[in-house]
Amino acid sequence: MSTDTTTASPARQELPAAERIRLERAFSLPRGRFLLGLPIAALILLWSAGGVGFDFIKLGQGTLNMGEFLARLFPPDFSKISTILELLLETLQMAIVGTVLGVVLSLLVAFGAASTIAPPWLYYPSRWIMNVIRAVPDLVFALMFVSAVGLGPFAGILAMTLGSLGSIGKIFAEAMESVDKGPVTAMQAVGASKRQIIHYGILPQAAPLLVSYTLLLFEGNVRGATILGLVGAGGIGLELTTAMRMYDYGHLSAIIICIIVLVTIIDQGSALIRRRIT
Amino acid sequence: MSPAAKAEAPAQPEQLMSTAELRQALPLATVRGLEVCYDPKKPVPVLDGVDLDLFPGEMVSLLGASGSGKSTLMKTLTGFAPATAGTVRVAGHDLRNLQRGELRQLRSEVGQVFQQFNLIPRLSVLSNVLTGALHQAGPINLVGGFSSAHRKYAMELLERVGIAHKAKDPVRSLSGGQQQRVAIARALMQRPRLILADEPVASLDPKLADSVLQLLRDIAVQDGIPVLVSLHVLPLALSHSDRIVGLRQGKMLFSAKSGELDEQSLKGIYEEDGNDVH
Repeated sequence: MSTDTTTASPARQELPAAERIRLERAFSLPRGRFLLGLPIAALILLWSAGGVGFDFIKLGQGTLNMGEFLARLFPPDFSKISTILELLLETLQMAIVGTVLGVVLSLLVAFGAASTIAPPWLYYPSRWIMNVIRAVPDLVFALMFVSAVGLGPFAGILAMTLGSLGSIGKIFAEAMESVDKGPVTAMQAVGASKRQIIHYGILPQAAPLLVSYTLLLFEGNVRGATILGLVGAGGIGLELTTAMRMYDYGHLSAIIICIIVLVTIIDQGSALIRRRIT
Repeated sequence: MSPAAKAEAPAQPEQLMSTAELRQALPLATVRGLEVCYDPKKPVPVLDGVDLDLFPGEMVSLLGASGSGKSTLMKTLTGFAPATAGTVRVAGHDLRNLQRGELRQLRSEVGQVFQQFNLIPRLSVLSNVLTGALHQAGPINLVGGFSSAHRKYAMELLERVGIAHKAKDPVRSLSGGQQQRVAIARALMQRPRLILADEPVASLDPKLADSVLQLLRDIAVQDGIPVLVSLHVLPLALSHSDRIVGLRQGKMLFSAKSGELDEQSLKGIYEEDGNDVH
């Protein structure tokens, strides 16, 4: 008996001759739409640069001033190190609480904003909410919460939580949408419920990305917390601004060095966690 | 024994069948006059007039060229592809009248094995097998813990498929053949009444393919459940199946015992007739 397993092939469709020649050429000319798109992209860039007064010559001329500013930062003055460390700790605590609350909220909204999970009636409002939140700067949220709950880190945490939702909710939703559909199909095939499919099929696959983005958010929130202090929402930001206004460059330098050390430690820690989960 | 052969067997009224014998003699899945049309505008249905019986303890191979309707037939048996005409009965359920919950119940009784395994790569072998018991987990199992009885049974199944020593390893560290064994253990975790394997050895080398099919055959015989497997490699189908069903362009060409097939019948599966395959 023959064991030939040749399969039937669908009706053959010939590639146009010109297209075939183009594909076989070692160096092919870019397509028309690429040649047209490139100058358009360049024009948009030049238009944008002109609009905001971007000027390399001006930058060159200002290099001296920049050098002078940097020179004023040395030597750093660590005489108020205890204040710096105390405020830095408060900044870190703000970032931790803001990130955790933001991530929990983002996860909840992301379930609604993932097209593969949510029905359309939930998907569109969830996306819309995140778009609105993302459009509002964190500083505006900080001002709003400062007027609501008063000056201090609590207002900063609330601002950070909302800001986190705007920035990471969409990414969480997209991480859930991009998981391999195979295991999800297998879950449906065993008769799993929608919740079980999310729990066992989607979340375990999306987890490395979710954790990675959470760490990125945390790093961003530590840096962001220094800015929120500008409007009185706690953290080291107010001390930083005060040092700048008082021309206390030694103290300013010490604050910046401490922030750099903290951010580096967090970055290294995050890298370690990322390596373990991916 | 093929359904045709069963029908031809002389009646022996003096010998009453036991319940177990009766169960063996009755088909677990019955398909009659099945027609499936994905696009009502397309005049050619994907499946047309298919009749099939699956008896407990038999391994049935589906042979056919790509696009002949093998996967659609499997999907129809679990309600993933609804029949446009004809009847499909699986494990006592008439698939035409099933509500969502009943369909989930039916799917939980049908173990499925996929070409790409559909496992979650970063989870452990044991965790992947346990997902086969999701339908038994119940609505209160929110934290995802499986009982020790489930875990014990999962380990027994891993023992059975020969990879208990890999229980703690992440699935991504396993070879293709081992991953397919995990997928088979997951299907067995459902305590299935029927197993459907859609091209389970298409991505495995011949030796692994042979061992995986032997495992499926053993399951069919030892557990007394029907196993329907779609294949492309004729020698594998001939050596591992009790019965071979040939499909061509959505129509059933033959259903016969492996040893009774002639060359002409087998050639017919892959013959081209100038039409597009669906």
